[in-house]
Amino acid sequence: MTEEKIAVTSESTALPRKSFATFPVTRPTLALLLSVAALILIVPPLLDALYLRVFISSVIFTIAATGIAVLYARLGLVSLAQVALVGVGGWVTLRMWHATGLPFEVNMLTGAMISGVVGMLIGLPALRMRGLFLALITLMGAAGFQILVTGTQFPNGGEGVLGIAVTSIFMPRPVLGESDEAMLRYVCVVAVLCVLFVELNRRTRPGRAWALIRKSEACAMASGVNVAFYKAWGFALAGFIAGIAGALLAATLGVLDATTFPASESILLFALTVVGGAYNWLGLVLTGLLFRAAPALLNDIGVNGHLAYVIFGAGLLHALITAPTGIAGQILEGLKQLTKRRVGR
Amino acid sequence: MIAIRDVSVSFGGVLALNNLTVNLADSVVGIIGPNGAGKTTLLNVFSGFVTPACGSIRAFDTDLLAMRPHQRARWGLRRSFQTEQVVDDLSVADNVRAMLDSLPVTSRSERERQIEKALTYVQLEGKADELGSALNTYQRRMVELAKTLVGSPRIVLLDEPGAGLREEEVDALRQTILGIGEQFGAMTLLIDHDVEMIAATCISTVVLDFGELLAFGPTAEILKDDRVKAAYLGIEEAE
Repeated sequence: MTEEKIAVTSESTALPRKSFATFPVTRPTLALLLSVAALILIVPPLLDALYLRVFISSVIFTIAATGIAVLYARLGLVSLAQVALVGVGGWVTLRMWHATGLPFEVNMLTGAMISGVVGMLIGLPALRMRGLFLALITLMGAAGFQILVTGTQFPNGGEGVLGIAVTSIFMPRPVLGESDEAMLRYVCVVAVLCVLFVELNRRTRPGRAWALIRKSEACAMASGVNVAFYKAWGFALAGFIAGIAGALLAATLGVLDATTFPASESILLFALTVVGGAYNWLGLVLTGLLFRAAPALLNDIGVNGHLAYVIFGAGLLHALITAPTGIAGQILEGLKQLTKRRVGR
Repeated sequence: MIAIRDVSVSFGGVLALNNLTVNLADSVVGIIGPNGAGKTTLLNVFSGFVTPACGSIRAFDTDLLAMRPHQRARWGLRRSFQTEQVVDDLSVADNVRAMLDSLPVTSRSERERQIEKALTYVQLEGKADELGSALNTYQRRMVELAKTLVGSPRIVLLDEPGAGLREEEVDALRQTILGIGEQFGAMTLLIDHDVEMIAATCISTVVLDFGELLAFGPTAEILKDDRVKAAYLGIEEAE
């Protein structure tokens, strides 16, 4: 009885918090902003040219993994087409720039939106199926893109719809990211914006609808949730974010190559998202680093980069057996235990 | 007023509901019957998870079966499940807010007022910001109940809300169910195996057996009916 009263009074003092309950700056969000700020200011000058490129690429695939996490962590759906959608975003961005010469940001958003539509189309079967069969269908979408883009290549300044030229014209970097250092800062800022955009979705209406759908579709329908709409919205958002990643990749390199986007890369990125941890931003950063920095690091110390696959396989087994929330989940749980112990002392 | 007409459902040759026809008008109506009698199937027909082979359900002059499941929720049909469906990583308030998201309650202050009213009604007003995972069985049941009460419900379907609760918790649940009509203006259909619970809350009661209507009438009379005792309470008719 007394316990109840205490609970009530402590609640009444906490009431004013409700006024901005839709997007409170929580400690994880703050931690994200601070660590990225530190990264942006301190790290770029310390890196050599190779590692600058490696980190840019890692951050770009962190962005792509953010989209995978929307589907996997929020909706419980598996999509194996994310790297293909990165390719779609890159293709449209390049085509847009060669055709119009508009500023990069405009091309990027166009690429992202088209990639979002394509993502939604690939996800349409999700309205009817889930699990293995949905995963297979998205994988076929990825394979379809691989075949298409191997046949046609990426636009590089030529004529016609496909825009292929014999000698490539490079798309310039965005004004704010002309050097590699600046580009690393640029992709970090975009990554933060993407994570925050997903977080905004998670904490508002779509996030609640996703949570109910994940719990059970019957429960969601009984709560008035339009299940088809919010699943489609999840796929569109994941595709949109993949498109952003594709645009950034195109901007970093100037041209894109079909060999970067095989279906197998989509599977690998999904697996690494599970290993890193799909449930918070730290896991997505780890995913990006595993995907791009780990092979480079192995090469650097004289080990064949392909050995990374063996490590990834072991990591995946580890995640599936002991760490459903990934490495990031384990790290955060460990930190929580540490602080608890300290408080206990 | 709910008019159920000739509703039949079969699952691969098994008649889960056989030409069920009954008019429900009281503020709390019980649905009882032995396992497999078709109670949950009837609720699933209401919710739209099962499409009946034939028949109709008209509720407050609306053809319920013509609407898709989520549209029924928007119309005012509410439902709790046998296994509660509280989401662990949403706060208590967000679990309830998720229900209101799809409803045409436009103003933010009105939504917050309704959430507060529902949570106060189920005595969880101090728990609004706690995560679903922090709740015990009784509190989870209450969150699920609060979800059914926001946004002007018309019909609240409760599928064994007392399952797994302790005796004093069932008492509290009983009081909570009794007040739904007066506080929220909704009609309640209650499935439960606890005959005391049915006797204490339901004005009239439907008894189903093998998908057929065995009896329907005022609860006190129904529970004395020999056929009901035979089918449901396991007492031989001959006695």
